[in-house]
Amino acid sequence: MSNSTHVTRRASALGPGLAVLFVALALVAFLSVTQGSRSIGLLEVLHALGSLNSDVSTDSTVTLELRVPRTLLGIVVGAALGVAGAILQGVTRNPLADAGIMGINSGAAVFVVFAVTVLGVRGAGVYVWFAFAGAIAALVLVYAIASLGREGATPVKLALAGAAVTAGLASVTAGIVMTNVDALNELRFWQVGSLAGRYAPILTGVAPFLLLGLVASLGFGRVLNGLALGEDVARGLGQHVTRTRAAAFAVVAVLAGAATAACGPIVFVGLVVPHAARFICGPDYRWILPYSMLLAPIVLLLADVLGRVVAAPDELQVGVVLGVLGAPAFVGIVRYGRLSEV
Amino acid sequence: MSAWRPLLVVAALSVVLAGCGSASTSGTAQTAASAAPSGPWSFTDGSGKTVKADKTPTRIIAHAGEAAALMSFGIKPVGIYADESVTTDLNLKDLDLTGIEILGQEWGKIDVEKAAALRPDLIVGDWWPAEKAHSGFEEGVDEKSKKLAELAPVVGVAQGKSIVDLAEGYESLAKSLGADVAAPAIAANKKRFEDAVAAFKTAVAAKPGLTVAAMSPADDKLYVANPEYAPELLDLQSWGLKVINPDTPDPGFPYWENLSWENADKYQPDLILWDGRNYKPTSNAEWGEKQPTWFKIKAAKAGAVAAWPAYWLHTYGDFATELEKLTEAIKTADPDIGD
Repeated sequence: MSNSTHVTRRASALGPGLAVLFVALALVAFLSVTQGSRSIGLLEVLHALGSLNSDVSTDSTVTLELRVPRTLLGIVVGAALGVAGAILQGVTRNPLADAGIMGINSGAAVFVVFAVTVLGVRGAGVYVWFAFAGAIAALVLVYAIASLGREGATPVKLALAGAAVTAGLASVTAGIVMTNVDALNELRFWQVGSLAGRYAPILTGVAPFLLLGLVASLGFGRVLNGLALGEDVARGLGQHVTRTRAAAFAVVAVLAGAATAACGPIVFVGLVVPHAARFICGPDYRWILPYSMLLAPIVLLLADVLGRVVAAPDELQVGVVLGVLGAPAFVGIVRYGRLSEV
Repeated sequence: MSAWRPLLVVAALSVVLAGCGSASTSGTAQTAASAAPSGPWSFTDGSGKTVKADKTPTRIIAHAGEAAALMSFGIKPVGIYADESVTTDLNLKDLDLTGIEILGQEWGKIDVEKAAALRPDLIVGDWWPAEKAHSGFEEGVDEKSKKLAELAPVVGVAQGKSIVDLAEGYESLAKSLGADVAAPAIAANKKRFEDAVAAFKTAVAAKPGLTVAAMSPADDKLYVANPEYAPELLDLQSWGLKVINPDTPDPGFPYWENLSWENADKYQPDLILWDGRNYKPTSNAEWGEKQPTWFKIKAAKAGAVAAWPAYWLHTYGDFATELEKLTEAIKTADPDIGD
């Protein structure tokens, strides 16, 4: 019983906490629209947002056609990666799980390379769909391999299958790219996770999948709490462990697949943010999921704004910024946090 | 042991070929000899080193553009290594390559076993002063491919500040190898080039206010070329064309200034020279569609774009052809589009 009072006490603080994060996200989004590698006065930004006419000046084009879609994409992609990471860590009970080690990035990369070499497809707007299909195919493959055998897709088998599929697909990609300069050039743009060069068509393309996935993901809190107690206990509590796992993987496939397709592989957000959320919320996934969903886009957008401001008139890709900042952050969490309590 | 096997094969092959070669290759040797002085031969390489040989080399293996340069003076190499498919390489795509062994069609990969079978007596590749290496032997090239240098001496003209210097350098290399550069068919190329330069200068002088910028748009950024590292742009500047020097080139890779797409309109030239390696007549419209800020460059919006032969020229003939196209673009350009 003391446990439940503990939880309610936490809940009384965690609810307002979510509201604070929401305000913080709004502030960061505002920052992302007003700051960038081009210096645009606040008044011009507000004027552009007010008129919604992007033809007035270059400043208004940049604001409305570059920064607004980029910011919205950063929000939905960040949220998707954060939640997908949290669900994966919960369902596989593996503190190192994120979309990358489940084969999503390598699957998407293989399909991008295939689209370029075999089908002659060019341009971010087209191969986003190949990347999406590839990410889902890889995750399905990982799950199918891990499901072989009587005990089903256990955490250990999922981790092993993920590593094996990632290695296999990565070597296929490397093999093709080594002999095809075109594929290498296209992949080079895609492979560094970035929010640059992605405009409204990509946002409107992936947003429906991401929003659907985000809504669905919030329903997983209770079952993930059950799984965290161990499979046998979860079964004892009346859960359909296999069915839960399959459903969770389906949601992760949509979320991480669409996010990766839109922006390329973005590291660390899916891995570190759920740990940060767990650090704040404790082990209750009903809180970890919404916290991850708000924390992740804050981190992603901040990193993106930083990359845009420090190198002007050039830009650093957000993937690079996250890599540089994410590593020490993760070390910090490992040092002070509760990594083992997944 | 297994590592030795390829080497043994090469050794065996070269012995066998050396044995029968004296008989079977005498035909080609003779045709070359009819034009070539028999030696001794020497050439001062781009690195400053003088390479000497008792006999004038006749079995030459050359890198793509360098091969094109030699062929334009009537010196046909026995083997070519290219950085991409010889059907798309801008230097090679219109040349008749029958009878020439293709030793590589990817950067950094040369089939040295095949090269050894050709028994070359000279390897020709541009000298890159910054990298202190010849084309084909730069950092990053397969160690196995670099063994090409063990087959014969390597020479090349220094890449640097001018395509004209480069073309002249290969002219003198070809001459030393026995080319008759005064032969009418060969001299015609140089004449055409000189005429093209004169016409270009006239067109430029007629539009004193015209500025151009050399650009290469990419999905995530817009690259603006730094003429300082683009010999053909320096040539154009020396003939009076105002090619914009970007003010903050990337310190790590000073060939370009990188602009985020937010800053695409930083430079407003009257004419855009578009990286010819990925330029099609439809490119301007496509990029206008794809990048919201591309048409914020007024010249792009007005369709004032022309192909820029970026970093590949080696011959008078190719340069003449490209100059003729640029001259046309300059004649039709409006010097008041940009700022």
